[in-house]
Order: sequence, then structure tokens, then C-alpha cells
Amino acid sequence: MKEIKSMFPNARIPYGTWGSSYFPAWQTSSLAEVNIGQFAGEAMANILGKRKVPARKLEYLVIGSTIPYHWKFWNAPFLSNCLGHRLPGFHVEQACATGLTSVIQAGSEVNAGSYDTVGVLTFDRTSDSPAGVFPERRSYRRTEVLADVWDNFGFDPATGGAMIATAGQSARKYKIDRSEVDELTYLRYKQYFDAKNSGFLNRVLFPFDILNVQGRLVGKVDDDYGVRQITLSGLKEMRELDTCVTTGTQTHASDGMATILVTSPEKAKELSPKPDIDIQFIAKVDVCALPGFMSESPGLAVKKLLQMTGLTMDDIVVAKNHNPFAVNDAIFSKIMNYDWRKMNKTGCSLVWGHPQGPTLTRILMESLEEAVDLGGGYVLIFGCAAGDVGTAGIFKVS
Amino acid sequence: MINQMRQSTLQTLGLGSVLEIFQNGKLPVSASELVDQVFGKACNRGALVISGANGIVGSGKTMQFASRLVPYGVPVIALDFPGVPDGIAKHYPGLIRVFGKDNANKIMGNIINISYDGKSLPEVLSAYNPKFLLEAIPEILDIKKEHYRIFRAKFPGIDIWSVTSGFPRSALGVGISHPAFPHEVNKIWEIVEPKPSNSTKLLWALGLIPMPVSDNWSFVLDVLFCGLTLAGTRFCEATNMPFWKTDKYIRKFFGPNPFRAHDAIGAAGANFLTWSCLHHLSKHYGELFTPTATLDEKKDGKQNWYPLNHLRPIVDWSMTNEETEEFHTWILGSLFQMTSLMLHEKRTHLSQMNLIGELCAQFRHGIVATIRSYGAANVRKIVGDYHKLHPAAAKKAWHPEVFDNINTPEWQQLYVNAEHDGNAGVISINREIYNHDVNAELNRAIDWLKSAGIKNVIVTGDFHLSTQMLGADTTDFFPAIENEAKGVELSNSWSATARRLNNDFKTSVGVINGKRCLGGFLELMMHCHYIVAEENAVLGMPEVTLPVVPGMEACHWPFRKVKQEDYANLLKLLLTGKPVKAKESVGWLTDYTGTMEEAIKMAWKIATGAEHGLKKREVAEEKLKNIPKELAGLKDTGDAMMDNARKAIIECISISCNVPLSEAISVQSKYSGNFMTTKLFKKGAIGSAYTKTWIV
Repeated sequence: MKEIKSMFPNARIPYGTWGSSYFPAWQTSSLAEVNIGQFAGEAMANILGKRKVPARKLEYLVIGSTIPYHWKFWNAPFLSNCLGHRLPGFHVEQACATGLTSVIQAGSEVNAGSYDTVGVLTFDRTSDSPAGVFPERRSYRRTEVLADVWDNFGFDPATGGAMIATAGQSARKYKIDRSEVDELTYLRYKQYFDAKNSGFLNRVLFPFDILNVQGRLVGKVDDDYGVRQITLSGLKEMRELDTCVTTGTQTHASDGMATILVTSPEKAKELSPKPDIDIQFIAKVDVCALPGFMSESPGLAVKKLLQMTGLTMDDIVVAKNHNPFAVNDAIFSKIMNYDWRKMNKTGCSLVWGHPQGPTLTRILMESLEEAVDLGGGYVLIFGCAAGDVGTAGIFKVS
Repeated sequence: MINQMRQSTLQTLGLGSVLEIFQNGKLPVSASELVDQVFGKACNRGALVISGANGIVGSGKTMQFASRLVPYGVPVIALDFPGVPDGIAKHYPGLIRVFGKDNANKIMGNIINISYDGKSLPEVLSAYNPKFLLEAIPEILDIKKEHYRIFRAKFPGIDIWSVTSGFPRSALGVGISHPAFPHEVNKIWEIVEPKPSNSTKLLWALGLIPMPVSDNWSFVLDVLFCGLTLAGTRFCEATNMPFWKTDKYIRKFFGPNPFRAHDAIGAAGANFLTWSCLHHLSKHYGELFTPTATLDEKKDGKQNWYPLNHLRPIVDWSMTNEETEEFHTWILGSLFQMTSLMLHEKRTHLSQMNLIGELCAQFRHGIVATIRSYGAANVRKIVGDYHKLHPAAAKKAWHPEVFDNINTPEWQQLYVNAEHDGNAGVISINREIYNHDVNAELNRAIDWLKSAGIKNVIVTGDFHLSTQMLGADTTDFFPAIENEAKGVELSNSWSATARRLNNDFKTSVGVINGKRCLGGFLELMMHCHYIVAEENAVLGMPEVTLPVVPGMEACHWPFRKVKQEDYANLLKLLLTGKPVKAKESVGWLTDYTGTMEEAIKMAWKIATGAEHGLKKREVAEEKLKNIPKELAGLKDTGDAMMDNARKAIIECISISCNVPLSEAISVQSKYSGNFMTTKLFKKGAIGSAYTKTWIV
């Protein structure tokens, strides 16, 4: 393994202290009925409890979420109150880049010596999108109402286009073939179900029983509801919504949370059930592609990141990404000359959905688990985000 | 010469044993003579002063004493700062509920409110001739001491008790009477004094329950309750389980819900008191008692423990078997160690230590009984495991040797004692609800008397810790809800014990000496050859209202002892759930009623074979004839649960009376056990309690 200087030499991710809820598709579970911030705080307490990490060990909270939730104004003190231990903290947000940036932000705080133990709490609920009412004196209606999830998916104010259009436009630019995208998608589902059936996902995902206000069970969140087995022929029969984009080759909105800790090296050894495993931050970058070409942005980000670090894709032991459109992976392969079959071996957000804030957090923890299984190495995670943003980060597991 | 299985708790008050009460034919002391001694003769009667009378403790105790001292003309002076919120008036509606408006007015009329500035006593106080000060002011040592000084300066002979929640007598320099919450109704007081005083005996004579304890930091109740709260917070901090859920598990496994209790009492004050108690204990006994960071925060932040309504929990928590074991280690390990300290210090009679937890802190089983059920070796192992989780606790205040005596009668007879004089025996029961522990101890007491050749026995309440007999402990029924065999077994074994009172003695006398005798306890008493009761005692079979089918033979045994014309009385008792006054039940339920003293004398006459004039009602062993299928004039209530319960009880009466006595025990047990698995039972009070507390 090449030796690369860490971006945060004083920060670590303690192995095995992370966890995520399942990501049920929007409107399929009781998560659609709760304050997702409160749920996330309580779920984080539960996950940390199962991981034998007392919440009182935390000193600071980095919050990543993109969709407004009730009492968002209060942020860290409110969420950590639900966690059972009130903390200061900060909220970060940039659509689907949020999960990775939240972890990086935590690494920065620890590396600077401000804290020894920082919790990262990412979550979003796409179900029942909140709507904002905005006085907009320059619009002809004077007051605009915006459904935060779906209106934003459908309209990038910078380009005037919908999210889906950026995938089609990128596919045309890179001359991606529909059949390749269908085959790629079919593989992604197979990868997910193979990982699920092997029990791999149980190392990351935690089931939750959800209570109503009377304290009675209202539902269980114990699966990535909405994810179904698909067939290649079924994919091929789907109507194309834009170039290379069908309902089968794009992700779906979902709800969920994911949490991970960032600590000093000493604390990582104290908190991890396997203190010999060392997880370091190597590098991270964000880029912005040309307007309307979101699907190429991940490849551009990774390209830049590898140039920064001097690493090549051959040095990467695990590559995993947030790929709301399957075409993203095909384009990434072209940009990086990398076989998409070698990526996303335990599943990806194309399959299990897209709650935005926690998406890359779950991807990160699955990647780290996979790297541990492989005996360590460099882990590359990346993805696209609204506004044609590409984000990528490298971690080192040893 | 009196032989005892163990010391009677009454003896710790200097009031002799239960057997001596019967031998002497009267109670050991009377309230009127003790009022004379404490407050002076009627011609020169002094007053009781309660300082801090508007606080939670002070106002509750003002009610308790004012209501009891009215008949004796002892005024209660409620002393407090000017302008403090009136804590006394809010008890008035409760007084009306209990005593009626006229009596409530008399009680309120016996309370004289006087304000003072905290520095000097108002002159008007002298007019009331204060004889006794019950101090209930804040827990600040210097302020308390100054308070005593000004009282002693003005009234040199005054007797002073503090209701302090933690200071020892040696620090305060006055007697201590530590009451249990809720103060207006809880009768228990932990008393610290060199030997039982007349004031302590007066508490007993007034129907309260004083318990002498040693002069150590904090009290038995506080060690248990604050200790449980502390253990709960330690578990929460280790596992992140929220307080509300930890509370539910504590309630499920042990009985109390300490966090909810703090909120109910008022978190701001209760958090401070708990923290303060633990803080002082930790100074003397080390890390075992050190308040957690959570408790520090709750004390300073004055926050409730349960989430606010708009933050009702979303995520439920459950525990694996391994996690449940860890939970038990955190909670029990801590409590067991704390109890070892109290046992080492010989803080009080074991039965009292045990019942303080049950009567004041909602422990389902007292801590001593719990330790006994685990056994010494397991207890030591659990504490050892606890020390692995909390190593600092191992450094101090751990006394494993105290469990060496676990097989002695002091440990084994926590609820039931037996005494005899070589001729007659007395079995005294100090638990107000009958459970498996009482059942086992009762059997041992019977065995002990039989082994001594005792043929005549009195079965009674203990004249101290138990002021009534309320029936069966329905939490013992919980395992039967999902398993019929458990219910049948329970009914069978309890009935078999009850039958021993009929079969194993030449003469047995059930003495109902408290306010009530209901349900399972009344069934137990029915098995005695004679029932003697204080005439105003209330007797009842409330099972139909729960509903449950009586499991200790009430559906046939009492019918076998009466004439057919009395069947209606028994049916009414069983089918309406409405109680009767003892004096209205003579001949068909009881055999004699009178004043307490008359009842005591009569019971002793029967037990000693003296001439008593009562005819023994024999138990018919054959099938009974003409058992009615209904009670004439009894109309449906319109409540389907009650009406169906009546049908079940009638059916049980019918089938258990329709077999010989030898078969009836199994017939009734099977019916009763089966009923506990029905939907009707599950929807009722016991089933609901089961769902609420056990399905966590």
C-alpha cells in the first residue's frame, strides 16, 4: 500500500462504532410519520448503545441533513437531547454530498484538537416533503410555495432543468449505451442482494421499532422497503424517461439516518471493539461540473482527488458511490477507464434509495466494513449532488 | 416463657410481642395515655408544632397529625415563613373525601397557622404551650441547628424531631423521624433514637408505623430508592437506554419506576433530594454512592426525567438476553451491595428493611426477600459482576459476610412470624398482600409450631407493619396468564396451605385485627376453625370486580360451613364484590366480633381452650345440595366484564360445591387457573396491569 500523507493525521474513525437505519423507500414505512430529527437522535443513542459507546463520550455533534424537519432551528442541542446527552454542534448541508462532508467536518474538528470525540449524525425524510412559503417580491405570484423535495428535484434554479435531465444530458455526452446501463443496474441489484443474503449488511444496518404517541408499536423499520428483485429483461422493457434513464435505472427517494464517530487516535482505540483496526482520513474534494452535467461530476471529482494524492484506481481496494442514476457509473468508467463491475460490491444507493443526508454516510461505513474484510487498503467513496456537484473522499484502512 | 421463630418487630418499639398482646388481653399501650405523657394532661394539654408546615413533607404530616390528634384536643401549630404558598389548604378536598365535610372542618379547625421570620419565635406561640416540634425545614444543617436553638431557648422542655432526609441524629442533635412519601397517607416513619420513646409509641398508638433504625447517614428508604435511581442512571449512561425505557424495565423486574416517581413528586425538589442523599452517602461510603453526571445535571438543571409530551419517544428499545443480564447486574449488583452495607450496620430489623422497600418504594419484593430468593452465592456473584462494570464501587462498603446468615429465621421469616408459650401459638403476618413468599413462610411457621407440639393457633396481622389484609398479590398471577398450569399450581398450593389451618391444628383462630380483610386473605382466614374480628373491620371478596375467580376455595369452603339460608349472604359477597362490616357477618362468615380488646380476649380464650361460648362451625365434606344458580334480586350491571365474571364465579361455585371436599380443591384450582388465561381476565385489571408492566 502506498504511503500517502493524511489530511487529518490526528483524527480517526473508530472501527465498528457506526450504524445506519435501513432506508425504506418514501411513504413505505412508519418513518414517513415521525419527526426524522427526533428519530435520528434516538436511533443514534440506540446504535451507540448496541456498539457499547456511551453517548456521554461525545463532545460535539456534526449534523448532516438537507430537508427541513420540525424544530430544525435548534439543531445540535435538540438532536442530542433526543440522543440523551445535550451537545453543541453544527449543521452542514449540500444535498447528497452532505454525508461525506459531515464526516470530513468532524475530522477537521478532531484534527484541530477541539474535541476528542465527535458524533456525525446524518438523516433525512423525503416522505411528506415539508413546504416552505417564501415571500418573493420579484415573482409574479409575490409569494412562492416550495415543496422541498419534489419541487427541488424538478427544478435547478441555475439551469432551469430537472435532476433527471442532467443524467440524460450526461449520457448523451458520453455516448452511453442503454443496454450497458441496464446490465449495470442488474448487477447492482445482484450485488445488493448478495450482500444482504450473506449477512454483510447486518454489520451496518440496525432495525428499529417505531412508536406512536401512545407508546404503542406503529411499525418496524427493518428492511430497505421498496427494493425488489429485478430482471434484466424487465429493465430492458422499461420506458426511457430520458437518455439511458428509466424508472429501473434511477434511484428512489427514501427515509433514514446514519451515524458514525470521529475521534482522536487514542479515543478510537478506547471505543472500537477492534482497536487494532486503524481508519484514517486521506483526502477529499468537491467539484462542480458544467451546468446540467451532474452525472459526470463524480468522475471529475475522483480524477482530481487521485491527482491530488498520487494514487491510481489500482491502489483502491474498495470503490463505492452514490449513484442516483445508473448512468453515473457508466460515465465514471469511461472517465477513469475503470470497470464498473469492480465497484459497489455490497450494494449502492441506486438500489437502496436516496435520503440525501445519510446516503454517503451509509456508503462510507459499508465501504469500510468491506475494506476490513479485504485486509485493509484505500477506500474511495464518491457521488454526485444537486447542482452538478461531484464529491469524493479517500480513507485508509489498516 | 415465650418461644419465637424470630424477634417480633413490635418488640423493637418496646411494645412486647404479638403473643403477649393475646396473653395480656389488650394492646400494649393506648393513645390517650401516651397523649397525656407527650402533650400533658387534658387540663394542661400542649401543642404539636410543625415547622415548614407548608412544604410537601410539612403539609402532609400536618394533615396526618391533625386528623389523628383532634380527638385528644392537641392543637397542631403550622409554622412557616410569611408569604409562602399555602401547602395545607390543598389537602382539604382529600380530607373531605376520607373523613366527610364535618370531620374535615374539625381537622382544619385544629390547625393553627402562625408565621415567623426564621430568626425568632412569635410570642403567640407560647399561648399554645408547645410540647413537641416536628421540624420539616430545608436540608441545611446550620439553619436546622439554629432553628432548634431558638425553640429550646424559648421552650426548654420541648421534644424535637427532625424529618430530615439524610442527616444522622449525631449531626443534628435531635431525634429523627423520617417519613415516607406520599406524606399525607404513608404511615411509615424511620425513627432514630437511643431507645423507643413515648412519642414513638404514640405514633404506633395513633395507627402509624414507626420503625426504629440506626443512626447512620441517610435512611433505609433513601438508600434503596436513591440507590435504585442511581443504579438506573448508571445503566442509562452505560447503554444509552433512555430514562423512560429504563424505568419500564425497572418497573417490570423490580416494581418501582424511580424516574417517573421523581417527576411525579416534582423533579426540581426530588432531583435535589436524591442527589443530596447520594452525595452525603458517597462522602462516607465511597464510589458506590457517588452521584452520576446525569444526577448532577438533573439536580442543577431541575429537568424532568421523562420526555416532554411533544417529544414522546419514537424509537422503542428492547434487550437481548445478554443485555437483560447486564441490566440485572447494574441494578441488582448495586442494590445488593448497598443492602450489604445496611445489614452490616444493622440498620434495622430485617423484616422492616424488607418492607420499607415494598411499602415506601414500590418494590414488588423487598430487597431482603429478593436477596434470599437469589441465595448468598448468587448475590455475591452478581455483586462481583457489578464490580467488573463499576470497579470503583468495589473499593468500599461491600460486606459479603452479611449473607452468611441467610438460612436463619431472621432471613427466612421476613413476613410471617410464629410464637408459642408451650400451649397456644400465634402466627403473625406482616405483609398486607398474600404472595408466594408469605405462602412459603406460613408453611414454615406451621411446621415450626407443629414441631413444638402446638395444637392451638391464632393467625393474625402483626399489629405493626400490617394494618390490614388486602388479599392476594396479583403480580403473582402474571405467569398464569400465558400458562394455565401455573395458575392451577398457584391456586392449588395456596389452598393447600390454607387447609393446613383447618387440618393441622386442633383449634385455629383467624383474628382480623386491621381495617380490612379482603380476597385471598379472607379466604385464608375462612380456613381457620373460628374467625374473630374487630367489629368495624371491612370484609370482602372483590375478585369479581377485577375480575378473577377466587383461587383459595372461597367458591365452596365457606358454603360448607353455613346453613342453606346463609348461602345468599355468601353469594352476595362473591358476586357483588361489595364488602360487609365484620359485625354484620357473624354466624355466616365470622364467629365473633367486638372491640379490639374484646376480640383479642376472645381469640385467646378459644386458643387456650377456655370457655368461650362459641360453637364451632364444621366443614361439610360431602357434596352440597341446593346451591343456588343465581342470587335473587341481583340484576345485571350492564358492565359485560362484571356480568361475565359473575357467571364464571357462579359456575365455579356450582361445580366445586357439587363434589366432595377432597375433590373440591382441584376442581376450584383448575377453574381458577383456567380463568386466568381467558380474554375476560386479560382485559381486566390484572391483565391490564400485566400488559402495562410486563409487556415492555
